[in-house]
Amino acid sequence: MENHSLVQRLIARPEFGPFVLLVVEIAVFWSFNHDFLSPQNISNTLAFTVELGLIALAMTLLMTSGEFDLSVGSLFGFSPVLMWTLFNSGLTSLEVGFVAALLVAAFIGLVNGWFVTQLKIPSFLVTLGMLLVVRGTALFVTDGFPQRTWSAEGSWLAEVLVGDFFIGPFRIYMSLFWFIAAAIGLGYVLTQSRTGNWIQAAGGNPSAARARGVNVSGVKIGLFVLSSVMASLAGVISSLRTSAANPNSGTGYELEVIAMVVIGGTALTGGRGTIIGTVLGILILRVMRNGIVLIGVPGLAYNIFIGAIILGMMALHSWLERRHQAGT
Amino acid sequence: MAEPLIRMTSIRKSYGRVQALEDANFHVNEREIVGLLGDNGAGKSTLIKVLSGAVPLTSGDIFIRGKKVSLRSTSDAIAHGIETIYQDSALVTQLSIARNLFLGREPIKPPRFLNRMDRDAMNTVARDLLKQVGISKNIPPTTPIGSLSGGERQAVAIARAMHFDSDLIILDEPTNNLGVAETQGVLSFVRSARDSGHSCIFIAHNIHHVFQVVDRIVVMRRGKVVADDIDPKKTSVAEVERIITGMSDKEIRDAIADGKPSH
Repeated sequence: MENHSLVQRLIARPEFGPFVLLVVEIAVFWSFNHDFLSPQNISNTLAFTVELGLIALAMTLLMTSGEFDLSVGSLFGFSPVLMWTLFNSGLTSLEVGFVAALLVAAFIGLVNGWFVTQLKIPSFLVTLGMLLVVRGTALFVTDGFPQRTWSAEGSWLAEVLVGDFFIGPFRIYMSLFWFIAAAIGLGYVLTQSRTGNWIQAAGGNPSAARARGVNVSGVKIGLFVLSSVMASLAGVISSLRTSAANPNSGTGYELEVIAMVVIGGTALTGGRGTIIGTVLGILILRVMRNGIVLIGVPGLAYNIFIGAIILGMMALHSWLERRHQAGT
Repeated sequence: MAEPLIRMTSIRKSYGRVQALEDANFHVNEREIVGLLGDNGAGKSTLIKVLSGAVPLTSGDIFIRGKKVSLRSTSDAIAHGIETIYQDSALVTQLSIARNLFLGREPIKPPRFLNRMDRDAMNTVARDLLKQVGISKNIPPTTPIGSLSGGERQAVAIARAMHFDSDLIILDEPTNNLGVAETQGVLSFVRSARDSGHSCIFIAHNIHHVFQVVDRIVVMRRGKVVADDIDPKKTSVAEVERIITGMSDKEIRDAIADGKPSH
């Protein structure tokens, strides 16, 4: 093992496949249209990418523990609606509304986790139910209309979350730094901390983990809370950046996020997860969406490519897995 | 006689109307390997599950070194030094050897609030332990369990129990699905576990494996312990088989003869 060359070890990593795909993708789009790598296009792509990315990072940990969360898209729409409704009605300041939205999200995560771990209902069903409850609440509270949002200008909260500035020709939002911080933090938790060991054990063999005294239910509930809070944070960031709080926003994001995570190499069945892979998965899907439009493929054809990528990557991962098993 | 390590008295366990254990009495002495035998449904597994905290008992008492304990969960049992190795289910296949060894008890590098595992320490200990349990092949401790053979997995599970100073290691069918060489390996780990001061309960269908390694054989039948002091050195396999089935030679011959005309 020790005398394998650096290159061989890089190729053996599960993130290698997604990495190659991303490079190929960027090269192809760039060869069609050199504007693809223009500062403006990169800035535009990054702005929304990191918002979805925050959800995908939390989802990576949750999926490694063997569960997933379909309610994140609803929370993405619901949390800003809640925040703005509280603010617009004059009940609270924007900051208190923000904290309230995060607390409500944490509670929703707690309920998800409680149903899954204590009532032993599969997370697919629990979070599907929660998806409808949360989306329904957002629609009911707002009568289906977007909330007023323009008074966020100059608020320090908006500055901290999505304040923008220029680095050379690149327009950078603060949310990029939140994303990087979250990626490093959660990557650290997953690979370096003992909590990460418990997360992987909870997904790989829950009964063995329980037999070693690992609090599997506690780990999973914590990750459901994390997933909900991150979705809520992402929703608020997106809402502040676009100055919109639409109760319908975030529809379908749950599937896109799960696709990002599995493309990156995290096992849908749990036990194995990679934050680096997820970052690559996020970029693969967002670059694809951006590039397709840029080179003139009709936007409506986007899903064809996304679907093809998911199928292709799943085939690659399963092939690598089998080769790995056979080679030992 | 000195107080045994584990003493279970009048253990009853019923699942609804099914009486799995009826007044079972059982003990394990210090530094002793006990073979627990019995036909399917004799109550071996239930007895072990009670002792490892996996199922609650209906009535009865468990004493560890003379002190009465209540084992409400597997973590309770582990805290009391009882380690159970179920066949194939004790390890997380996706995690590395070192990560499995320390699962739930990972050493932390200071400062503590970073909650960071001390992976160097884990790997060093793992490497030593692998040598101790006789895995001579040079397997790095970062290898995932999934790429080990069945015998190597058992060895890792046993190594873990030995490292964490369990007083009692319960092995449920440790030699199932193992090859000849691997079986010998597992049997020798069991012996070395005793030599380093651990007690073992060894459950297996294969009586010959049990005979090779245990100090004392306990036989269960229909929820009761029917013999608890069989010396494998003074008893033949055939005699033990007779106790397990609860039939005399003649009854066995009759049973076989009864079956014959229908063929």
